[in-house]
Amino acid sequence: MAGCLAACRIALLLGTFALAGCATYSDSFGAIERNISARRYDAALQEIEKQAGTKPDLVLYLLNKGMVLRMKRDFAGSNQALEAAKTEMERLYAASVSENALSFVVNDATTSYAGDDYEQVLVHLYMALNYLELGQLNEARVEALQVDTKLREIGEKIPGSKFTEDALSRYITGMIYEELGEWSDAMIAYRKTYDAYKKYQVNYGLAMPEMLKHDLLRLAQRQGLADEVAQYREEFGIEPQREGSSAPEREGELVFVLNNGLAPIKREKIVGASTPPHSVMTDTPATYMQASPALPVFVNIALPYLESRHNKVSSARVRVSGKQTYTQIMEDIDAIAKSSLDSRMPAITARSIARAVSKVAIQQSVDRAGRNRNNDLAVELLGSLLVRVAAVATERADTRSWLTLPANVQMARLSLSPGNYTIAVDLLGADEKVVSTQEYPGIVISRKRKTYLIQHWMSD
Amino acid sequence: MSWTLPKNRLAVLMALMLAFVGCSTAVTRMDAGEVKDLSGAWNDTDSQQVSEEMIKDVLNRTWLGEFTRTQNRQPAVIVGEVVNLSHEHINVNTFVADMERALINSDKVQFVASSTERQEIRGERKDQDLHASEATRKPMGQEKGADFMLKGTINTIIDASGKTQLRFYQVDLTLISLADNRKVWVGQKKIKKLVERSNLRF
Repeated sequence: MAGCLAACRIALLLGTFALAGCATYSDSFGAIERNISARRYDAALQEIEKQAGTKPDLVLYLLNKGMVLRMKRDFAGSNQALEAAKTEMERLYAASVSENALSFVVNDATTSYAGDDYEQVLVHLYMALNYLELGQLNEARVEALQVDTKLREIGEKIPGSKFTEDALSRYITGMIYEELGEWSDAMIAYRKTYDAYKKYQVNYGLAMPEMLKHDLLRLAQRQGLADEVAQYREEFGIEPQREGSSAPEREGELVFVLNNGLAPIKREKIVGASTPPHSVMTDTPATYMQASPALPVFVNIALPYLESRHNKVSSARVRVSGKQTYTQIMEDIDAIAKSSLDSRMPAITARSIARAVSKVAIQQSVDRAGRNRNNDLAVELLGSLLVRVAAVATERADTRSWLTLPANVQMARLSLSPGNYTIAVDLLGADEKVVSTQEYPGIVISRKRKTYLIQHWMSD
Repeated sequence: MSWTLPKNRLAVLMALMLAFVGCSTAVTRMDAGEVKDLSGAWNDTDSQQVSEEMIKDVLNRTWLGEFTRTQNRQPAVIVGEVVNLSHEHINVNTFVADMERALINSDKVQFVASSTERQEIRGERKDQDLHASEATRKPMGQEKGADFMLKGTINTIIDASGKTQLRFYQVDLTLISLADNRKVWVGQKKIKKLVERSNLRF
């Protein structure tokens, strides 16, 4: 029975995780997604609350909670959750010895999720947007500084990475500095945004937004940077506005931000194989064949892939008191997520293969323990069978990601005279067909200030 | 090729699983003056250091004696905004309140209510005008105007490389004369911290 004990212990270890690992992380997101698509935010929060106890997924729980709270327009609550997520991400900066050891025998999803690089930057962006909607410009500025620190850290960690700059975060940073009258900081932020969009063009095929070109030109002129003004005029083919006629002196501005759709979701694909025992078992094959019926050794590898989510809306038109403007895509999170996973795929695959090898070792070790110490064929087979079921069942892909992020973020800006406005937003599908129209009454525009109107849209 | 999993390695695996089971919350009471740095971010110790330094400085400078001598009364001070220009969401109210308390208790300076506090008090005075008895009613237009305004900024410089981070905080407080915009006192406190993050955890 000693052999069975050893076999059962290993089987139990794997079995514990097999039970927990019946569904991958992304499978549990369906109920949350249905609720936020139907704008039932309280129900969505209740669903999210069910994930509160899962320690390795704590960051994701906090990120999703923060995001749904901001959809519900509870900005203070959202900031609280996102700040907690930041603290947890910081704690997870140190790699865990025990978790990594466990992930080597069970699967990648047993490690604590600290957030992908782009997620770690975007948490600052959404906190900044929360503060902007609360009208707390100085607090938004704190987030702007933290974005800079974070991006420097990422750039240093993986110098060759595609994602070393986040254009939208840099751009919002520039807008915050400009509104606070910190012109040189704003200029530097816009220049970094410009560099980031050049990289976005190459990596994700996203063109530089028109509004950035005007910002660069306006600020370069304000700061008296003649060479830079000339360079931008030539490159963009636009002329700077004449002094005195520039609107910002008398007018305020509406900044409309559309968080469109939902970020891509990770799914799992399984590549499985079984190996006949004698091909891998080289130790005393003769006695082995005699004593034990041959159970093949199972090897399977589960890998994640990203699936874009369906969305009917491709852009939006903002209408207010006779003026209208169209949104432009500022950040393509769908493309960023896919490129990030692509770059990590070799490492994920290598880890899966290493794990498959260790699981083969466990299966053979259990077979051998049964064979050596126990002559009861039924017990021996049971142990061998259990360990195979467990080995296959525990191999799950790590499908975790911040799923409440939008697929892309779009922006439109409009100069308006100070006053109280009703803003109409037409959400446009293919061929500019209006999918839905929403009205936001009572939007106050103040002189020389930016008023942020930030919306989330998910297709039903 | 032979694969084995010895018993002692199995024991290690089991121990790792046990590590997943958490422990209950523990609370230890500490003295408010005790230094305990956790993350390296701005904390109570920094706030206390700033208020101590500022209070010592502001009471020992010439502006106070000069004002009392020429005006023959104590100066009235109002707290303006202390702007947070740092990398962190810092609560500036703690050291501003510390300063306020120390200055008032020194019996050398008077403080008047800040603009937000004033709104509430004016509301109450308006209410008294209607509802309070003649003898206890407080008249309007008798507020004491401030002579100086206390304003300030918190700035940070962060330099990081890998797991090491150098955090530098500078708190500047200024006392500005409301009569002629003169800066009569500038207090400064610098705090520098080296934060080393761990690469490994259990």
